[in-house]
Amino acid sequence: MLALRPVQLSDLPQLQQLARDSLVGVTSLPDDTERLRERVLDSCASLATDVQSPGGENYFFVLQNLDSGRLVGCSEILASTGCNEPFYSLRNRPFSSSSRELNIQHGVPALSLCQDLNGQTLLRGFHIDADRVRTPESELLSRARLMFIAAHPQRFAESVITEIVGYSSDDGQSPFWDAIGQHFFDLPYAEAERLCGLQSRTFLAELMPQYPIYVPMLPPEAQACIGRVHPDGQEAFDILEREGFETNNYVDLFDGGPTLHARVPCIRSIAQGRKALAWKSSQIDAWGRYLVSNDGLADFRAIVAELNVDADGPVALTPAMLAALEVNEGERVRVVAL
Amino acid sequence: MIVRPVTITDLPALLELARCAGRGFTSLPANEERLAHRVRWAQRTFAGQVERADADYLFVLEDDDRQVVGISALTGAVGLREPWYNYRVGVTVSSAPELGIQRQIPTLFLNNEMTGQSEVCSLFLHPAQRRGHNGRLLSLARLLFVAEFSQLFGEKLIAELRGHADEQGCSPFWDSLGRHFFKKDFSYADQLSGMGNKSFIAELMPRQPLYTCMLTKQAQAVIGRAHPNTEPALKILGAEGFSHKGYIDIFDGGPVIEASVSKIRSVRDSQSLALAIGTPDEQAPVWLIHNRRLASCRITSARAHLHGHSLLVDRLTAKRLQVQPGDTVRAVPLLSQARQAVAA
Repeated sequence: MLALRPVQLSDLPQLQQLARDSLVGVTSLPDDTERLRERVLDSCASLATDVQSPGGENYFFVLQNLDSGRLVGCSEILASTGCNEPFYSLRNRPFSSSSRELNIQHGVPALSLCQDLNGQTLLRGFHIDADRVRTPESELLSRARLMFIAAHPQRFAESVITEIVGYSSDDGQSPFWDAIGQHFFDLPYAEAERLCGLQSRTFLAELMPQYPIYVPMLPPEAQACIGRVHPDGQEAFDILEREGFETNNYVDLFDGGPTLHARVPCIRSIAQGRKALAWKSSQIDAWGRYLVSNDGLADFRAIVAELNVDADGPVALTPAMLAALEVNEGERVRVVAL
Repeated sequence: MIVRPVTITDLPALLELARCAGRGFTSLPANEERLAHRVRWAQRTFAGQVERADADYLFVLEDDDRQVVGISALTGAVGLREPWYNYRVGVTVSSAPELGIQRQIPTLFLNNEMTGQSEVCSLFLHPAQRRGHNGRLLSLARLLFVAEFSQLFGEKLIAELRGHADEQGCSPFWDSLGRHFFKKDFSYADQLSGMGNKSFIAELMPRQPLYTCMLTKQAQAVIGRAHPNTEPALKILGAEGFSHKGYIDIFDGGPVIEASVSKIRSVRDSQSLALAIGTPDEQAPVWLIHNRRLASCRITSARAHLHGHSLLVDRLTAKRLQVQPGDTVRAVPLLSQARQAVAA
């Protein structure tokens, strides 16, 4: 069985392997023990903080095979963007080109560096082993974060966003980067993303063009990258789209990948999840797959389970499920259909 | 040859010149009504009936047979009635010393900094007359006029030189920039701006600075580059002290050259002299001479001798200038010292 839980310091050696395997631009996980350790400690400290309103806390989760102990994926939630440093994105809105005298009015799409997405909860760092892509476990890895938000609403903003990794070729070339970022850094795309992991993303963002970039002036290959998802980012996109997330007018400033957003009350796993009393049963007459979590903080756990859930009654879990969730019979769990 | 203010009777000759100049010469349209309007306006300007903001001094070059063979113009001030836009080619720096990044990004800044300056423009000389000192006379006459009546003009004179275009008349700069906002060909935009709509088109374009690295390679290559046809004009004005300080036309990227009036050679070196009549010898230098009048302005070039505070010219020159011996004229050698040395 696989279970999702907050990261611990003992996960460090395995995390390093995940960092090496993850796609450029997705996790920005540094392949650097010291930096990874800081990230883990930051998550532990965030869980230990008594939070009244969201700030710069970062919650880092891992998906673990309970049988082998192996980590197969990771994902993160930044409680609020723009707290420790500004959160930059590119706003894609038309520049209105108009003349009353010439009777002309048309919009020319323009990309402007902005901090419009400050103050929102950010889902990030989604990475799963290649052989588990598009399985119920990858749903768990992504959506358990939403269940965590449901369990601890005061720790998060009213609105949740995520950036989906944009298109780059198999040899790591990003036409969007080549048309914009390259001019301002003189660095290849992959190198810039690596620096983002080491330094901060904001640090690099502040070198980006402060004046608008007019889309028709970009080469066609770069224009085609605006809002285009990297094939390996498609699953992350699809999962959240099914959750009710929508694209908006913001794209990533390095690779042009789309931004998804949703208001917390509209997110499916949050709106449709329900709390149910857990009772132990060795035999479950299952008729559907569910995500199940406890409402813990440092002891937050989430699993995928085949269950028999009705509209408002208690829910039967096997002893193995109860153990994985670290929940006792008679305590409440959060359940949502897969 | 003399340079004098245009009159309405020049209209047929101007139309002929306009046809000869072709469509690229947008400030001299081969359209009788519009030309007539411009000529009347110029007559009112020379009569002192218009404000500096609207002043349009239109000169013609006329031979001794009263044939008009060229035209040139001088405006009182640009940008006082409607905004006058240029890009300034500047730089923004992208810097992160910790990463060893220090990039200078050439950037185009939209500005109205030429507002209130005077423009020399609309010069066209009939191809058959492009010889001797004709081009220089037609161009420099305006500068000598400014020397005489500096209170009618701005601190600087500017000239917008036509930008680089390909054989089909397409401007790579326009295609990479203006076209995205006006969505029309350069030639159409050019015609419209010749009809006085330039600021309207300019207002379709973004006010925010633009990074030149976002332009096509072809467009970047022609920033501040003049059309080969403007080479003679550039040479003449360059010798007078005009230089390119980074301002360019917002449509075709052509250079705007500029000079402070007081530093222009023909202004700085010109002097008022009493006219004397005699027979200058064949070795005498050629002078540019103005009769110091406004409405009945006459400017010509002729061999002359400087003696103290008097300038000796032949009788025909005095006749061309409509002056008598003893009248004062404003004069300057037609060629700068350096050029005279080369000519000698």
